[in-house]
Amino acid sequence: MKVLVPVKRVIDYNVKVRVKADGSGVDLANVKMSMNPFDEIAVEEAIRLKEAGKADEVIAVSIGVKQSQETLRTALAMGADRAILVVAADDVHTDIEPLSVAKILAAIVKEEEPGLVLCGKQAIDNDLGATGQMLSALLGWSQAMYANKVDVEGDHAVVTREVDGGLQTVKVKMPTIVSTDLRLNEPRYASLPNIMKAKKKPLDEKTPADYGVDVSPRLEIVKTGEPPVRAAGEMVGSVDELVSKLKEKGIV
Amino acid sequence: MNEQDCLAALAAIVGDRNVLVGPEETAAYVRDWPGDNLAEPLCVVRPATTAEVSEIMRLAQARGIGVVPQGGNTGLVAGTCTTGGRDIMLSLGRMRAIRAVEPTDMVMQVEAGVTVEEAQMAAAAADRLFPLSFGAQGTAQIGGAVAVNAGGLNVLRYGMTRNLVLGLEVVLADGTVLDTLSALSKDNRGLALHQLFIGSEGALGIVTAASLRLLPRITRRQTALLAFEGLSEIVAFAGQARAHCSDLLSAFEFMPGEAIELATGHVDSLRDPLEARHPYYVLLEIAASGPVDLDGLLMGLLEEAMGDGRVLDGVVAASDQQRKELWLLREAMVEAQAARGPHLRTDFSVPLSRVAQLVAALEQVVAEHLPGWTSLAYGHMGDGNVHFNVLPPEGLDGAEVATRAAPARARMYEVVRGFDGSLSAEHGIGRERRAALYADRAPELLRLAEGIKALLDPEGRMNPGCLFPAAEAQKGQNG
Repeated sequence: MKVLVPVKRVIDYNVKVRVKADGSGVDLANVKMSMNPFDEIAVEEAIRLKEAGKADEVIAVSIGVKQSQETLRTALAMGADRAILVVAADDVHTDIEPLSVAKILAAIVKEEEPGLVLCGKQAIDNDLGATGQMLSALLGWSQAMYANKVDVEGDHAVVTREVDGGLQTVKVKMPTIVSTDLRLNEPRYASLPNIMKAKKKPLDEKTPADYGVDVSPRLEIVKTGEPPVRAAGEMVGSVDELVSKLKEKGIV
Repeated sequence: MNEQDCLAALAAIVGDRNVLVGPEETAAYVRDWPGDNLAEPLCVVRPATTAEVSEIMRLAQARGIGVVPQGGNTGLVAGTCTTGGRDIMLSLGRMRAIRAVEPTDMVMQVEAGVTVEEAQMAAAAADRLFPLSFGAQGTAQIGGAVAVNAGGLNVLRYGMTRNLVLGLEVVLADGTVLDTLSALSKDNRGLALHQLFIGSEGALGIVTAASLRLLPRITRRQTALLAFEGLSEIVAFAGQARAHCSDLLSAFEFMPGEAIELATGHVDSLRDPLEARHPYYVLLEIAASGPVDLDGLLMGLLEEAMGDGRVLDGVVAASDQQRKELWLLREAMVEAQAARGPHLRTDFSVPLSRVAQLVAALEQVVAEHLPGWTSLAYGHMGDGNVHFNVLPPEGLDGAEVATRAAPARARMYEVVRGFDGSLSAEHGIGRERRAALYADRAPELLRLAEGIKALLDPEGRMNPGCLFPAAEAQKGQNG
């Protein structure tokens, strides 16, 4: 069985996000970019399936700017076997919308015929969390979203999902699409020898046109703003003053 | 001397709430970070302005009282551990203003009580870098860092605190305020007097504010944890790394295999990033402020070093999260030692080329003097700075640890002298290493230092017993 893992190059989780002065989006110039953390978990899970003998090949896919090949090299260094880069944008600020991504992935799925697509539950840049579900609809496949445990058993997958207030276990028919939640696993570090080996692994470069997909945006971003700044604290002189302030604000 | 009278006079300067007396109120100030020493000041006083510091100093002079300045209390050599309940402990923690950040001039002016981390953040907000960085930076304060000439993780590229200070505001023993605050990189108007106070450990004056040098903000980094067979390989690799990375190397830390065990045992979320355990590791970081292909530089270096068999294995941080985890290994390893209780802690430096021989010689000392103890050699290899610590077997009490460690430490100091090294690379002298310093340095150097001390602090009231021997006459007068 092949496992297909879409990975997205996003602003690094630890970077303090700055909004562009004109409010059109987040400033990504000179900013550290890394693999979307949920996708990292998906890559790890796919590699573990391969190590457990349940998958034969792990294929990483990235759709975006040319530099996304760095993200794919990271996936290859972790243990993916080969990679497909779909260059769909020139400017790092261009975000390819979930429907376009899902259409390209659907076309790749038809070509590669994986038994499982493992994707992150959402990208931490736009937080849309829609690609996996859209892909499921386009392919007519089953889906198991927000997984914190995945067992592949023959023609079924048993997936434990994180839902409000607890866990839900579902059994889905293969081929299927599973999206990964934070607690599914802890991704490994890419070791030096594997980073070296990854440079020699195949990385195919494609365009959306190769798959007959038009990636022009359908959505318009109206405005991007910084979160409101927390108001400064106030020092009080005594317990009495504290209590009266709290009463004033209706807290006690 | 009337104690109550003195406390009242201090309260008149800083307010009742800022004169702390008794073990409970002063707990956070009197217990030192390693937990080895308990200071016994008359009181802790917390001024908020330079003028208040100056007034306190005049009061102390009039009454012949010693003053022990304190920053974040993260020192390791009992630098503020006054005894006898006679001295005022003066905490700079309320002087927290960032007076100015000037990105064009590449300088900022901050007060002594600003923490090192807050200074870093203030610089970053102006798109600049304040490069001083060490484990205790969240608590340690600028005044203290200047007073002890702190080193840390970025010395290799940016130098010690001394290299980052353009000028100071200092209050002298008689209350005089010296203002050398400056935004000038070049200023040869006579003696650079502020330099005298950097590394003076509060024994010459109290640093109340500093002009600090800024650099362009780092926008990209590559961090790697690399495995080695031994220290000689690391020493050889250090030169190779520095040359290969266009001098963009900003950290080159080494630690032994046991460090991974200590760190992962201390912090639950930590794990060993490599598949197998190795004798030694290097945590290496290269950093740049502009569009430099750091990945290409690093991979070129590592391919070469793996090709010639010097580097056995390693990982490269793929995200900032992984970078943080790698650095946390380094920090947690230090905290884990403190959690083990009293142990033999050192802070040596030797020329880089002699690090491997030094560690071998120190291990020999442990074998002879402290059989059954576990030695750990780690530190800032790029600076030739080795922290050679020895952990006692479990169950040995503090007093016994101290008794057994003393002769071993004395022997280690001799060994370090034999390598033309320093018995205090970055931690300072404090009270703990004062006698060792006097045994180590030439008499003419000590005489000159004492002459300077006598000029600035003729009554020996500035941090008595730290860096210089306590003036017995003064003690007697107040005791």
